[in-house]
Amino acid sequence: MNGYAHEMSWHTSYWPMVVSVGVLFLVPLAFSFYFVYQKPLLAALSLGIGAPLVLISIAGWVKEGLEDEHGYGTGLSVWAMPFLIVSEALLFVGFFAAYWATRLTAASWPPAGTPELSAVIPIIMTVILVSSSVTIHLAETRLEGEKYDRGWFLTWLGVTIVLGALFLGISAFEWTELFHEGFNFRTNVFSSSFFSITGFHGSHVLVGLIIFLCILIPALSGKINKSFVKAASIYWHFVDVVWFFVASQLYFW
Amino acid sequence: MSTQALLEPSDTAEVAAVKQRFSLKEWIFTTDHKRVAVLYMIGAFAAFFVAGLMAMLMRTELASLGPTVTADPSTYNTWLYFHGAAMILGYQIPALTGFFANYYVPLMIGAKDVAFPRVNALSVWLFWMGIILALLTFVIPDPPDIMWTGYPPYSILTGGNTAFYTFTVLLMGFSSIAGGVNFLTTIIYMRAPGVTWGKMNMFIWCTLAAFIIQIIFVPVLGSAVTMLTFDKYLGTSFFNPAAGGSPLIYENLFWFYSHPAVYVIFLPAIGLIYEIIATFARNRIFNYKKIVYYGVMGVVGLGGIVWAHHLYVAGIPNWMILIHVFMTLIISVPVGLLMIGLLGTLYKGSIHYATPMLYAAGFLFLFLIGGLTGIPNAMSSIYIHLTDTYWMPGHFHYVMAISMTTAIIGGTYYVFPKMTGRMYNETLGRIGFILFFVGVNITFMFTMIMGVKGMPRRYYDYQQFPEIEWMQQIATVGSYIIFLGALVVLISWLHGAFYGRKVGRNPWGSRSLEWTHAPSPPPPGNYGDGVKLPDDWNPYGYGK
Repeated sequence: MNGYAHEMSWHTSYWPMVVSVGVLFLVPLAFSFYFVYQKPLLAALSLGIGAPLVLISIAGWVKEGLEDEHGYGTGLSVWAMPFLIVSEALLFVGFFAAYWATRLTAASWPPAGTPELSAVIPIIMTVILVSSSVTIHLAETRLEGEKYDRGWFLTWLGVTIVLGALFLGISAFEWTELFHEGFNFRTNVFSSSFFSITGFHGSHVLVGLIIFLCILIPALSGKINKSFVKAASIYWHFVDVVWFFVASQLYFW
Repeated sequence: MSTQALLEPSDTAEVAAVKQRFSLKEWIFTTDHKRVAVLYMIGAFAAFFVAGLMAMLMRTELASLGPTVTADPSTYNTWLYFHGAAMILGYQIPALTGFFANYYVPLMIGAKDVAFPRVNALSVWLFWMGIILALLTFVIPDPPDIMWTGYPPYSILTGGNTAFYTFTVLLMGFSSIAGGVNFLTTIIYMRAPGVTWGKMNMFIWCTLAAFIIQIIFVPVLGSAVTMLTFDKYLGTSFFNPAAGGSPLIYENLFWFYSHPAVYVIFLPAIGLIYEIIATFARNRIFNYKKIVYYGVMGVVGLGGIVWAHHLYVAGIPNWMILIHVFMTLIISVPVGLLMIGLLGTLYKGSIHYATPMLYAAGFLFLFLIGGLTGIPNAMSSIYIHLTDTYWMPGHFHYVMAISMTTAIIGGTYYVFPKMTGRMYNETLGRIGFILFFVGVNITFMFTMIMGVKGMPRRYYDYQQFPEIEWMQQIATVGSYIIFLGALVVLISWLHGAFYGRKVGRNPWGSRSLEWTHAPSPPPPGNYGDGVKLPDDWNPYGYGK
């Protein structure tokens, strides 16, 4: 009857609570101080409190995750990722639904003030993102069994990160160009959807890059969790698939 | 341990395997699902208490014609905002998918913890940050006054702080999604050998269904409130008709989540009632498979296509109204099946009326009233006459607020001996139930009658309707009785937790895993080396 007694202590971790406090300062409070109460100094202070807390917690969390003293859900990340992807996909569905509803009920399209969008930029971005999906797949092929090759993994993971960063760079360049042409958040109902959707997709690319860095840095000293890598790779493929919708709906329709 | 011994209520307390010393660090940085559950419970009941105070203020304000508590109608609006937002986002959803899911799911499936304990702790702390942000609306100069729905254009044009509303929703939403991913993984991949799909507790099925709804629909609400924030503070024009947008987009996206949110609350609540009734009637679940496949999964399947019944008068096309009238009427079939399952489980049972069972019986009555008053609302031609009257708050308080609260309070009494290792005082429990049950019926029965008489909802004053003042006063008295009942409930819990009689692992004589196999309270890691179940094990295997 006393077989249950072998776990002698309550498990704890600092990071979930610290990151939550960080998020509270980093987003709601900083945003409210800046946009609602017009107090840039307090907004900067909130960012100054929130950002370090979030960064420290991410680092601490990754370290703890790789040591994995609990081991309750070992190997389950890759099975949990599809559920997260369902959620993420529905987030985009919300934005696309708003876009479709405004576009399909509009008297004329595009609304006044919309410049001609370049067709070359989205094609280049598509090529880059598809290549990065291929490279992350290449990276994870040499993680198991006899074919294990850390150098190969690190190289292709590095290439993926560079491609992702390049994608974000081009996106930022395109946004600046459009701002110069007078096309911004406030211009019209198309600009609202355009910047929200490309912005949200870009933020997902950024999160993907952060996840890859969280894998790359410990991997340099040999700490690799295959389940994490696979989950991150699935996430990256999802970001790639979303891009097809973004490009086809915003640029080529 | 023989089958007979499992069925007998055991009163001998076991010696705790782990010395229970209090350590603040082990509480606030905990990743253990049972302690995360307690953190959820504290936050959810705190939100219930403060939002309940707002309801008291509103009822007192309405007790007489003209200004009673405040002379400022916009103050009334901020109470209305806080009451709705905190009750739904801060109390009901976290109590059911946070507190009860956390406490029961790993125990009922024989797991040591959830799949991702740190993500679980993240969920509860994001929820707490949402609570803190909601409470901050009491100290800022421009509290939100936009109901819990936040409809544009008012939410964009108002001088109130809409950002605090949207960020509260977003924080709670991230918490829900993290919880959903975590619990779906846990339920699917971490069940102990022997806990098969056909032998899962009803509560597990209902929680699984609720989390499927959460991960699908919460992000849509997230997108809606994000667009609202952009519209108000960054100058986009999603919901601005002058620039080609439409407020209807928000209303559709909002209810696309917020109607299924009712099922996120309803399913775990009725799951708890199933557990209570099966245990206290000592009976199997009536038609278990049909209830799960057609009842629980039927609600999941239909829940996402009935949202427009909130929008019959909002200006949506007639074909859309027609579809949603039919779908709304059809969804009462799986919901009715779930109710029939409860009654069938009582049939030929050996019923024992302890406090949790009283609440379960109360649920049957309150949810029946709520469900039956919902059917006329589904029909658009009747709805047009009843919308925006007191009938609507009367209806949804029956179906959602007080039915689900009976499930939450009854469920807490049910889990109480397992959580604390002690028994609450039965007399106090019964007094609390009677006060609560009498109070809610007085308040909301009269709310519905006033609605049919024509009293519009959300009004701060009712100079046009002096003849209903006496009904407002009775409803107010009813709300004070509810408050008194809630205080007795709270006292019975606090008294029980500190001075209650010590009990063993299975004071209810249940056959469910968490009662038969885990000590009260369960130690870290719950079952240690894991549970081994005989082939004929069944959580409802009474009378074998």
